[in-house]
Amino acid sequence: MDKLKGVSWIIFIISVFAIIYALIFNPADWIVYAISLVFIPLSVLSLGLISMAQGTKEDEEDKTKEPFIGY
Amino acid sequence: MNLMAEILLNVLIAFFIGSLLFGLQRKVMARIQMRPGPPIIQHLLHTLKFFIKETVFPKTAAMPFYVVITLILMAIWVAAVIIGPVTHGPLLLLFAIFAIHKIVEHNAGSSSGSPYGKLSCVRAVFSAAAELPLFAVLIIIYLKTGTMDLAGIIAYQDAHGALLLSIPLTALMFIVLIISKSYYFSPFNITLAKDIISGFETEHFGTLRGFIMMSESITWYMLVWIFLTVFIGGLSPIGYLIGMVIVTAVIGLINAITPILNPNHSVMAEVTLAFIGIVGSIAMIYI
Repeated sequence: MDKLKGVSWIIFIISVFAIIYALIFNPADWIVYAISLVFIPLSVLSLGLISMAQGTKEDEEDKTKEPFIGY
Repeated sequence: MNLMAEILLNVLIAFFIGSLLFGLQRKVMARIQMRPGPPIIQHLLHTLKFFIKETVFPKTAAMPFYVVITLILMAIWVAAVIIGPVTHGPLLLLFAIFAIHKIVEHNAGSSSGSPYGKLSCVRAVFSAAAELPLFAVLIIIYLKTGTMDLAGIIAYQDAHGALLLSIPLTALMFIVLIISKSYYFSPFNITLAKDIISGFETEHFGTLRGFIMMSESITWYMLVWIFLTVFIGGLSPIGYLIGMVIVTAVIGLINAITPILNPNHSVMAEVTLAFIGIVGSIAMIYI
């Protein structure tokens, strides 16, 4: 889970920089569209993955390693 | 205004207004059923709440597709905001985005590994057979106005009056399509019907659910925006807001008083309405 947080932080920082770049330097329209389509969703999702709550270590085993019994 | 700032502003407006409209729809339904109902802000709070909840990735989920599909959902509706309110681009691209939305519903359901998700995935394919023809009634717009460009359609209505009055059947068909995308107890939204829990969203919990709900709020805002722009014309921001509240309240009323249909009946009703809409509208234009 720590790896996930680390990757989320990296993606979030890159996304914010890309959006700020488009806001300040006003590049060509197609670059702004590309930044919007890729980095707006990525920034929101990575922020969510950073801000989400984390369960205790003991519970994590039960939640992720248990076979899906409803199948 | 700077293009990026305009896109960000429109995406934020779409999210907040879309969320509040879903809250309004729920409120209208509750009042019709003689309940006080939750506050209008509830859907928005519900969406934001999921961002601080724990997210668990099921062992059976097809990673990383299980996560990426939520990104695709958001990306296509950000694209719709760019094509619609920001640039007034081609209507045909919005049709393509709606088609991709159906593919996203399908893949979100299948990527989770849950039987409820998979059933919703099958229903997404089934309902696409009805919803895509309903969106395709917008071809009638081309026959009437000679353009598929939103800016051209707005200019046509400025000169000739609202299309709602000249091709009302086409507008009605589009309303049926909007009903099929309403979040709460829609008779046509078989992919999210309560008999399969939350359909393709069942296994997407925590942050991922909040993220999907955010995209769905933008979807709702955009569908109602397309309806108002294509059938009434370019409105002022206050005009759009009033129009959106009216459309959402009417759909809340429809959802409250119609039974949940089974998938076969739902799809057949939509296909029949699409057929009536296309044939009737062409007859109204040429006869």
